[in-house]
Amino acid sequence: MRRLVLIPVCFFALAVPVVVLANGVQGGFDQVVSSIEARYHVHADRIPLLGLVNFVARTSTGDGVRGMHVAEIEDFDADVDGEELNKLVAEKLGAGWERVIRETSRKGGSQTLIFMKPEGSRMGMFVLDLDGHEMDVVQMSVDPDHLSEKIGKYEHHERD
Amino acid sequence: MKNRVIVWVLGLAAVAVPAMAQSGLPLPSPVEKELAARASNVTEVTLGKNMLGFAAKFMDGKDKDEEATKHLIEGLDGIYVREYEFDKEGQYTAVDVEKLRSYFQAGGEWSSIVRERDKKSGESTDVMMKMVNGQPHGIFVLDAEPRELSIVLILGPVKMEDLSKLSGIGGLGVLGDLDPDSHSNANKNKDKDKAKAPKAKGGGDE
Repeated sequence: MRRLVLIPVCFFALAVPVVVLANGVQGGFDQVVSSIEARYHVHADRIPLLGLVNFVARTSTGDGVRGMHVAEIEDFDADVDGEELNKLVAEKLGAGWERVIRETSRKGGSQTLIFMKPEGSRMGMFVLDLDGHEMDVVQMSVDPDHLSEKIGKYEHHERD
Repeated sequence: MKNRVIVWVLGLAAVAVPAMAQSGLPLPSPVEKELAARASNVTEVTLGKNMLGFAAKFMDGKDKDEEATKHLIEGLDGIYVREYEFDKEGQYTAVDVEKLRSYFQAGGEWSSIVRERDKKSGESTDVMMKMVNGQPHGIFVLDAEPRELSIVLILGPVKMEDLSKLSGIGGLGVLGDLDPDSHSNANKNKDKDKAKAPKAKGGGDE
């Protein structure tokens, strides 16, 4: 019985700091998502147990990836003006973010925006992708040195 | 569904086209706004020095080619790519193309190294090199096809023979079509009157 109680306690002890740390670096992610929800009258689904996913991502990449935020909007039926969406995202993300890639179709069915922000030795990445009736929004912080090292290990392993 | 998100995240992290710090890169020309309004699809890639430095970190430089590419990318000041796709022909004019050419050539000593004109199809390709103190310090490519217009501007020390190394970077697929040997024909502009083979576009933007 005591064991059974300990498991959820340990889980929360681990998950809570992860969630708190992740929230600390979120920047304007929530603002972007809630503005999109309000503007296009849609509802974003948050990925369950993202704190745990973050913890796993951070550990497995040797801190290469952290502060991951994901929101998914299904049944996105609104008409999208690419220019307006771009402005909305740029404004809500806040200062320091620079748009690296933008792909937009005039008919509005396909929009991709990638923003980046230097964070010391790390780089913040924000991706918004609308494809048909689904929009995915992702934000994370990447350490190229650690991530590249990890990718290199896997490549080495694959060669073996 | 969720898999798509994961693939996106991992793909992006791995490819890490990333980069930016717009310094040195031009602001979009007024013509581009008009072209964007007429185009059915628009792709914009803007990579500044910071972002290029970041992208270079993903190259471990273990083999010679990768090391050379890493050095090349680290030395660049910026990359600016615009690709406009149109539903039908005639959505832009020769005047628009000329305006773009003069806008990007302003503020520098540019030499035309490739000038290709196809009278039958109306396609044209211009490749120009910016010279600073006698050294190449930038490349500008303007490729006009009936339904597609591509602009590539690379600022920093770069040579024609380096271009193929950059063709894997998002939006720079058009560079793979350029013949590095054409550099040896510098200042020997040519007006071709022959049908061009279809170009392999791409470059895996994102």
